[in-house]
Amino acid sequence: MLKILRLEYLFTRKQILIVLPMFSAYFAYMASQIDSPRVFIIATSLMVGLSMPLTILAREDKFKTASLVCSLPVRRSTVVLGKFAATWITIGIGLGYALLFTAVLPFAKVAVSEILSAKTLLISLFLVSLVFAVILPFTLRFGLTGIIILLVACQLLGIVVLLLTHFGGGARNPMRGLLRAIVGGLKTLLYHEPTAGFLLALLAAVVALIALSFLVGLALYGRRDL
Amino acid sequence: MEHAIEIQSLRKEYPGFTLKDVSFALPHGAIMGLIGPNGAGKTTVIKLILNIVRRTAGEVKVFGLDSIGDEEEVKSRTGFVLDETPFYGYLKVKGAASVIARFYKTWDEARFEKLCREFDLPRRKRVNALSRGMKMKLALAVALSHGAELILLDEPTSGLDPVFRRELLERLSGLIQDGRTSVLFSTHITSDLERVADYITCLRDGELVFSATRDEILENWAIVKGPPELLDGEAGTLFRSVSRGPYGFTALTADKDKAERFLAGQGAVIERLRLDDLVFFLGQEGRQREEAARE
Repeated sequence: MLKILRLEYLFTRKQILIVLPMFSAYFAYMASQIDSPRVFIIATSLMVGLSMPLTILAREDKFKTASLVCSLPVRRSTVVLGKFAATWITIGIGLGYALLFTAVLPFAKVAVSEILSAKTLLISLFLVSLVFAVILPFTLRFGLTGIIILLVACQLLGIVVLLLTHFGGGARNPMRGLLRAIVGGLKTLLYHEPTAGFLLALLAAVVALIALSFLVGLALYGRRDL
Repeated sequence: MEHAIEIQSLRKEYPGFTLKDVSFALPHGAIMGLIGPNGAGKTTVIKLILNIVRRTAGEVKVFGLDSIGDEEEVKSRTGFVLDETPFYGYLKVKGAASVIARFYKTWDEARFEKLCREFDLPRRKRVNALSRGMKMKLALAVALSHGAELILLDEPTSGLDPVFRRELLERLSGLIQDGRTSVLFSTHITSDLERVADYITCLRDGELVFSATRDEILENWAIVKGPPELLDGEAGTLFRSVSRGPYGFTALTADKDKAERFLAGQGAVIERLRLDDLVFFLGQEGRQREEAARE
């Protein structure tokens, strides 16, 4: 796995340096606009959870080098494990950078001390895992084109849901019920008392999500013809 | 005898194409050419050996090891050149090789440098800026720099100039002299095979047509030309891929001796076969079968 990690390091370090200014500008703007630590953590997690995995997982499709990597003396499962580990390392770096950057920004509306709690970090981890859990198997199986189709499909689905919510008629509209349930779930996640039980449950959910996504990704990549 | 490659009933099903239960073996220290018309399944076989496409059924053993179960061991002893030469294009030649080098314990940097010089590969140029021929040379240099015991080459001579092509073939012939290195390469340029191949395996429409030594093929197969009446009766069973003209027919036979005995004094001419002719006639036979099936 170290060979794959080293390969990822070689390619990712340059990309990180290129993306860093854009990333910094994005977080600077966000920190200057958002005063709620919860909204900040959601926005940061989604950004990091989406951009980091895509950078690493889709590289082989972008450069058409998947067949090269899989022809080298390394198992497919090791390739997936290496990419999985590399993605989590970059997610950690991305989240760490976002929080540190916000902490030193003089005009940041959100105080980092409000974010740096076990609960907020776990929520952040849960959200990142949720996004990554979808992206990992999908990108491994269908490649860059597949993930672009997924993202576009998600946006279209969002538009359809909004349209149905508005024009579906009345309070009994099932779409509104669905949206209320999602918002309710998110509120519970964000506003629940940070009891030990809640934190443990959140941690268990994160581990389960990561494990499931990894196993599905492994199975899918193992069957993929390159 | 342990073979470098042993393939048993190998099957791969794609939508619209099936590699149908192919079996052949490549002995140690030999060069095998993989020939056949476009879409015959040559690249699929090489990709299946490398396990970059997954087999539907069958068995692939390399050095007596399973190509999936012992994937790392098999690949560490195998060098490859794929048709698309998939390198990280934005890296320089030296960088692209160093990325790959770390995966091989037996990587020989001095040998790679030497091959780069011999192949006139500009080490400071980006891979994307290389011509197809140069990319192929880079892939070859990489494949030959880690002491591989098996070299798999998918259309390695396409895009190469005739001078380098000949050099490459001589190099491949030299490689197998140690008795432990084996080479399997697919090509459309069958004259290359006549020069260096010990064995030839022919595929058509995903089926194995034959796998034998080059000498056996050139001795047993032949082109027959003769008057049309020979096609009727028992002699007709000797012919394959028959094309009829106004004055006679041209066909392929897989049993030259029998054809010579059978057709003696009947006005038929039996000509020596070249591998090019073989691919042409077998391709034609495939098309004839397709047409017959449609009708």
